[in-house]
Amino acid sequence: MLLETLKNLTLSIRELRGSFNEFKIVVASIFLGVFIISAVGSISQNLKSEIKNKRVEMLGGNFELSTTYQEFPKNIKSWLEENGKTTHIIELRTMLSYGSQSSLKRRIVELKAVDNNYPLVGKVLTSPFQNVKLPLGTKKPEKKILIDKSLKDQIGIDVGDFVYLGKSKFKINGIIEKEPDRIFSFATFGPRVLLSTQALNETGLLKAGSLIKYKTKFIPNNKNKINLATLNDLVKGTNVSIRSIENTTNNFNNFVDRTSIFISLVGLITLLISGAGISNGVKGYIIKKTKNIAIMKSLGAKNSKVLNIYLNQILMIFLISIIPAIMLGISIPYLFSPIISQELFNTFEPSIFLQPISISFLYGFIICILFTILPLLKTYKIKPIELIRKSSENSLNETSYKIKGIIFILICILCVLTMNLINDKKLSFYILISITGSFIFIYGLTNLKFYILSKIKFRLGTTFEYVRKAITKSNSFARSIVISFSIGLSLLITLNIIESSLDKRITVAINQQAPSHFLIDIQPQQIEKIKNIALSFLGETNFNSQPMLRGRITELNNQLVQGIKVDKEVEWVLRRDRAFSWSNKIPKNTKLISGEWWPKNYDGPLLVSIGDKIAKGLNLKIGDKIKFNILGRSFEAQIFNTREIIWENMDINFIFILSNSNIENAPHSWIATTKNVGQNLNNSFVEKIVSEFSNISSISIEESYKSIKSILNLLIIIINSIALITLVSGIIVLAGIIDVGKKDKLYEVAILKILGATPKRVAYLWFKEYFIIGLITSVISLIIGFFVSYVLLNYVFNIEIYFDFKMICILTLLVPFLITIFSLLRMMGLIMSKPLVVLRSYF
Amino acid sequence: MTPKIKNEKKKKLIELENIHVDLKSSFETINVLKGINLKIFKNESVGIVGESGAGKSTLIMCIAGLELISKGKIFFKNLPIHNLNEDDLALYRSKNIGVIFQSFNLLPSMTALENVNLPIEISGNFKNNKMAMELLTAVGLKNRIFHYPHQLSGGEQQRVAIARSLISNPEILIADEPTGNLDKKNSEDVIKLLFQLKKHFGSTLILVTHDTFVAKLCDRIIRIDNGLIVK
Ligand SMILES: Nc1ncnc2c1ncn2[C@@H]1O[C@H](COP(=O)(O)OP(=O)(O)OP(=O)(O)O)[C@@H](O)[C@H]1O
Ligand SMILES: [Mg+2]
Repeated sequence: MLLETLKNLTLSIRELRGSFNEFKIVVASIFLGVFIISAVGSISQNLKSEIKNKRVEMLGGNFELSTTYQEFPKNIKSWLEENGKTTHIIELRTMLSYGSQSSLKRRIVELKAVDNNYPLVGKVLTSPFQNVKLPLGTKKPEKKILIDKSLKDQIGIDVGDFVYLGKSKFKINGIIEKEPDRIFSFATFGPRVLLSTQALNETGLLKAGSLIKYKTKFIPNNKNKINLATLNDLVKGTNVSIRSIENTTNNFNNFVDRTSIFISLVGLITLLISGAGISNGVKGYIIKKTKNIAIMKSLGAKNSKVLNIYLNQILMIFLISIIPAIMLGISIPYLFSPIISQELFNTFEPSIFLQPISISFLYGFIICILFTILPLLKTYKIKPIELIRKSSENSLNETSYKIKGIIFILICILCVLTMNLINDKKLSFYILISITGSFIFIYGLTNLKFYILSKIKFRLGTTFEYVRKAITKSNSFARSIVISFSIGLSLLITLNIIESSLDKRITVAINQQAPSHFLIDIQPQQIEKIKNIALSFLGETNFNSQPMLRGRITELNNQLVQGIKVDKEVEWVLRRDRAFSWSNKIPKNTKLISGEWWPKNYDGPLLVSIGDKIAKGLNLKIGDKIKFNILGRSFEAQIFNTREIIWENMDINFIFILSNSNIENAPHSWIATTKNVGQNLNNSFVEKIVSEFSNISSISIEESYKSIKSILNLLIIIINSIALITLVSGIIVLAGIIDVGKKDKLYEVAILKILGATPKRVAYLWFKEYFIIGLITSVISLIIGFFVSYVLLNYVFNIEIYFDFKMICILTLLVPFLITIFSLLRMMGLIMSKPLVVLRSYF
Repeated sequence: MTPKIKNEKKKKLIELENIHVDLKSSFETINVLKGINLKIFKNESVGIVGESGAGKSTLIMCIAGLELISKGKIFFKNLPIHNLNEDDLALYRSKNIGVIFQSFNLLPSMTALENVNLPIEISGNFKNNKMAMELLTAVGLKNRIFHYPHQLSGGEQQRVAIARSLISNPEILIADEPTGNLDKKNSEDVIKLLFQLKKHFGSTLILVTHDTFVAKLCDRIIRIDNGLIVK
């Protein structure tokens, strides 16, 4: 057995000699796919283990207890202080003012005020380095803050400068290099500013109703006695929520999982598309090796022997390409460790994990074999008799059931692997279905086209007749060309349509529908003044404000939420604090799905309007009861109607809107949006508000959109370049096909010329032949591209289809021209050849 | 299988019974062979002649197991060849048949020596360098063994092909216009060599040729016309 393999191997190597170059595209394809999967796998494994090692530090203690708006009840606070180490933290967003006294500029920042115990675990590092636990300098009169590097970069303030927060003036005492209890160091709403609780108290920013978070980090003295259950007991009936290292790591792991699933998916698709590249490369290779195969068969080689020889070659190529791919993949965490340290973790020590290596190897291997074996099976069809003449249609047509079985098993393994990778049965099912679907679609459509073409009865002129015969004759390679190019082209078209639709959606949204700015933390007593200012700046319809308070859902239909199973997609609604609003007037642009709005003068028991999809996910309908805990008090509301919520409009979207009943007396704040009426006008309005009301913060939607868009663009570039690679691999197949057919074509040209055709005429005939093949490819790809992007846009992105007509035309004509020009160049020598010389030397 | 009896003068090796070959193209079916009956005996040399397109190549490819026959029977030492499957045909070829083509059909990526060794390696045996060297010496290419086909002249390539056809010591040598691509001098050398080696190895030779002079070297001449044997 081993000996047999060895013997085959030496034969394979000898046969491979000198044709190594033919495998460039195969090597590139395998490399790309395997590299992406192993890199993504390594990074996510590294992140997860990092989280596991540093979870106490990242949470800042074993537990974090938090509330919004209000401080903890005193008894809880003192219990914690008695039973362990604690540090109390206050977080809020506010505007930081900087620059000269006469012309102050403002920037939203995230304040974090800490006490002297902070941090319980780890250390705050600053530059310039200060060897004190907390370099905030509590000594009066100078109040000091530490700021994020991003803030320094964004607005150009530096250590030693003075800035304003609320009523107080602060000196920047350092740049934060490391803030231990922060998983992400990238900014969420604004860059971090650290100060002492004492200093915060004096700024006057702590106003009831402002969105203020109170957090206490806790490390129990006796870790065996005090656990999550003890603490849950302690906070029962209050609005304190608790995070433990377990559920924090779970959340973060979920996040890492989801991201890595997404990127792995891109990797998988890359690999599948590279599968097309592999398949094309091997196909072209086998086409070029037709004669060699015929020779070996004439010398007594069985089909299986031939298959074996070439399979061995592919395996060698596979190993050659996969080793550097995996090596590079696992070194990615090392290469990126400075960036990951800076952006994500404060310190990040990468290591090598076996799982991503084995998974990427397995994936690469299966894809490689799967996409190789089909073109390799074509070797069965090569008859040794072709050495003396073109084969007729006589053939034994043996297909091996063993090989079909192997293919089936490989596909099954691939499916299982994918399910495993994606970890979401429904999603992976859809993905697998759509991938298989597209392959079948391309194949079926191609065959249908050729069938139609071969059945055309009416005459379309002699040149067309000639071309039609050339394309549809049974041994024509036209089908291979079409299939090879369709995959890449339909991908390009799909991407293009999706991109322009998204683009359109975003620009339209920015220009019309989406608000230009959010104003948050507006105090109830300020709202009337602001409404008046808005009226004079923007007009009534362009300013939208709603009251807001935060609370948690505790019960659905008298059942505690902890025990309720809900749809995974809406789980987040129950997990933490949610924002609520109230209104007896139906809010602007509301589309009710079921029920109706309560009357304007309603004053009965509490009613609630809820987002329709959320209601469905929570299995709720009109009449059902929801219990909320708002600022420690319980409220029960009955569902009165359900609404459509369009998240993409980026406007204020409350999942829950309550009726006016009593709620308005609870401490709350207002949130407002401004519609785009003109950039300068909007900006000056926002500037006026934030300078007049120091507690109000503003967020620009355009900037948020920009960052989303840039991530999206990167992705589109990656997938586009993969699609281009597939097109290149199509060219490789084409080259193989042309080279093999050269002799026949030469003969054809000679005959055509002897019969009186000029080189121009010959070139024209070929131009037509290949152009038609190219057009068939384009039409098929257009159908697929439009279909797939329609489905994606409609069902996944939920946006309208839009495409750039010019771009689509260019893409459509790309392949016909590519094929035609490439093949004509390749055959230029033939067209110019002297017919008699050809006939004499070849026949 | 029948035991090998030495010195039996007319031992039947190949028998063709009413062989038909129909080739289908997209438009029509061409009857290339229309009922060939033929016996070939051990050790003889048979020359096959006829007009171009008569079906000579098709006939000998049937004997080599490379052409699919539509009707009729072929026996090799009473073993029916006509109903073997593709794999068994390959086995039959690698054991019993050596083929020489008009266009030499060497593998370009292998040296002369490797090309000669190819048939035994394909049949799953260890390469036999000694035998291959002997054969290459016999065809006069002793100092060309490590050359690749593109480094050899046409005549030399054909001699490598002859050496290759003999490596597994086949009972039947089939040559389809082996000198068709060679000049006069080279043709004579190759033909001389072929008959010499046939004699040396005691094999049976079936040779398609256009050259009446070459045909006359054979023990027997068979003329094909329009898919049938004519006398
Ligand atoms: N693929 C094919 N489909 C249909 N007919 C074919 C095919 N290949 C060859 N033929 C026909 O089969 C017949 C016999 O061909 P064959 O090659 O056996 O002739 P031949 O006697 O060897 O001729 P030559 O001396 O020119 O080599 C010819 O008439 C040819 O036209
Ligand atoms: Mg012939």
